[in-house]
Amino acid sequence: MKTIQFILARSLGALATILVGALAVFLVMQAAPGDPALAVLGEHATPEAVAAFRAEHHLDAPLAARFLVWLKGFATGDLGRALTIAGGASISQLIANRLPNTTFIGLYAIFFSVGLSLLIGSLAAVSRGKLADTAVTSIAALGVSMPDFWLGYVLIFFFALNLAWLPSYGFTGPFESLQGALLTGLLPALAISAPMTAVFSRTLRTTLLESTQRDYVTVARSFGFSQPFVFRHYVFRNSIIPYIVVVGLQIRYLLGGVVIVERVFGVPGIGSLMVDAAFARDYPVVQACTVVFLAIVMTVNLTVDIVCAVLDPKRTR
Amino acid sequence: MWRDFRSSSTAMGGLAITLLVLAAVTVGAELMSYSPTGMSFTTVLRPPSWAHLFGTDSYGRDVFTRVLYGARVSLLISGCGVGLALMLGSLIGMTAAYFGRLYDLLVMRLMDLLFAFPAFVLALFLMVIIGFGVVNVTIAIALVYVPIFARLAHSMTLAVREEAYVQAARAMGQPPLRLLAREILPNIAAPLMVQASIGVAFGVIIEAGLSFLGLGVQPPTPSLGTIMADGQEYFRRAPWVLTMSGLAVCFALLGLNLLGDGLRDLVDPRLRKRAT
Repeated sequence: MKTIQFILARSLGALATILVGALAVFLVMQAAPGDPALAVLGEHATPEAVAAFRAEHHLDAPLAARFLVWLKGFATGDLGRALTIAGGASISQLIANRLPNTTFIGLYAIFFSVGLSLLIGSLAAVSRGKLADTAVTSIAALGVSMPDFWLGYVLIFFFALNLAWLPSYGFTGPFESLQGALLTGLLPALAISAPMTAVFSRTLRTTLLESTQRDYVTVARSFGFSQPFVFRHYVFRNSIIPYIVVVGLQIRYLLGGVVIVERVFGVPGIGSLMVDAAFARDYPVVQACTVVFLAIVMTVNLTVDIVCAVLDPKRTR
Repeated sequence: MWRDFRSSSTAMGGLAITLLVLAAVTVGAELMSYSPTGMSFTTVLRPPSWAHLFGTDSYGRDVFTRVLYGARVSLLISGCGVGLALMLGSLIGMTAAYFGRLYDLLVMRLMDLLFAFPAFVLALFLMVIIGFGVVNVTIAIALVYVPIFARLAHSMTLAVREEAYVQAARAMGQPPLRLLAREILPNIAAPLMVQASIGVAFGVIIEAGLSFLGLGVQPPTPSLGTIMADGQEYFRRAPWVLTMSGLAVCFALLGLNLLGDGLRDLVDPRLRKRAT
């Protein structure tokens, strides 16, 4: 029961953070210089056109009213229309179309990072010694030193342009064709996952080594328990929890990678939408995208907290 | 302590690479025979050779020279941004942990909120608000890193606050700010420095990303990001511009990251030793 209380408390906290974050984004956006009406209609627009534009987009309503209307939009699914992007399409429609793509690439990248790091981290933990230490640290440092988009282009160069195994541009959504999505999403996901894999591998190696050196492991082995048994019952849970916490912490950076890599590979996702909107000074879209990203981060953090609470009930305190 | 540092191969390797990069960027750039903006339409898009280590770009400019000058800009931006964040974040974290109560609650909640946004998204959002350019990218990087330093300084100050020497200083009547500066700060400086060196590396990646998208440093100012953006346009015909400049970034950042890792290994066991 305490676990359920914990989950509820954390969920409310996450929701509160998203709300406050949305408010902060909204307020900061209002401080942006430039009149959106002039930005869209051009500097030589007539005063009547400007007034009509402002009336249409409710730009003259009081601040609190506008914020509440905007917030309500998240709940009802009507966030207004984009100023310039896609000919003024509905923002919620744009986001709804693109969110599956971004989520798919993100999950794909996490899949690679976690999978590869579980392999590499365990192998590195098994082979102890100075050489393994230096090797793992160097590879981890190299992984973190690579800009995602650069790696993306290198991958394109080798796999798409030279070997023609994979397409270099474009993305098929997961709902259109799962196989297409897996194929076109492979290179973007790999590009994003490289720095993550490096960090996770190193973390897993550290936590595994720390866990196996604990006293209770020595005692368990001295009782005659087999290595796999000791691993499953004594080592696994204790090493996997810090690992999951690190995975959660890195999501901040993974989402940043998604934004640029979407541009590089032409994936129609929230990231590329935000970049296009940034260029076009389409403030409502930028606002909405920022809050969507915040919501994704909070969701991931919440998931990590819940998983850790389930694995280690002591955390529910 | 220097002996410990010397025995760590990662730290020494990192230091060596970082010093090499700094030397290349400051002195080496001046020694180059090409100008970073000197166009030459007879040598457009040449592949790497002994004359042009990284080849030439679409304006005939020597890419290697541009990379050296661009690295200067990028490292300056990232260094200043992280330095600013270090000062501001440490101040915020230390004072919040020391003075506590409502100030602590409000300030750290604000830091948590900032930290909840993905780093690059936050930087991107800020560029939309305050506009592009070198100074604004610096501010964006600073804003991304302030919560990280604040949280680190906060947790460390909480730990150190109860130590005997702090209590003694308070009993002696030392004013709070001086106490923070003379008793607490030296003892929490090490992890902050580690975070700073790793932060500069990531700051370069943020700057490169923003400039690559065209939302950061604006051409013709060379920065690692704008050079890669140039290379992206001609990627099929001349992949070396993007590839080689990216490799240079990797090399420079590898040095910084190895240095940070080495420092971190140095700092942690020392902390553990001091506790026993």
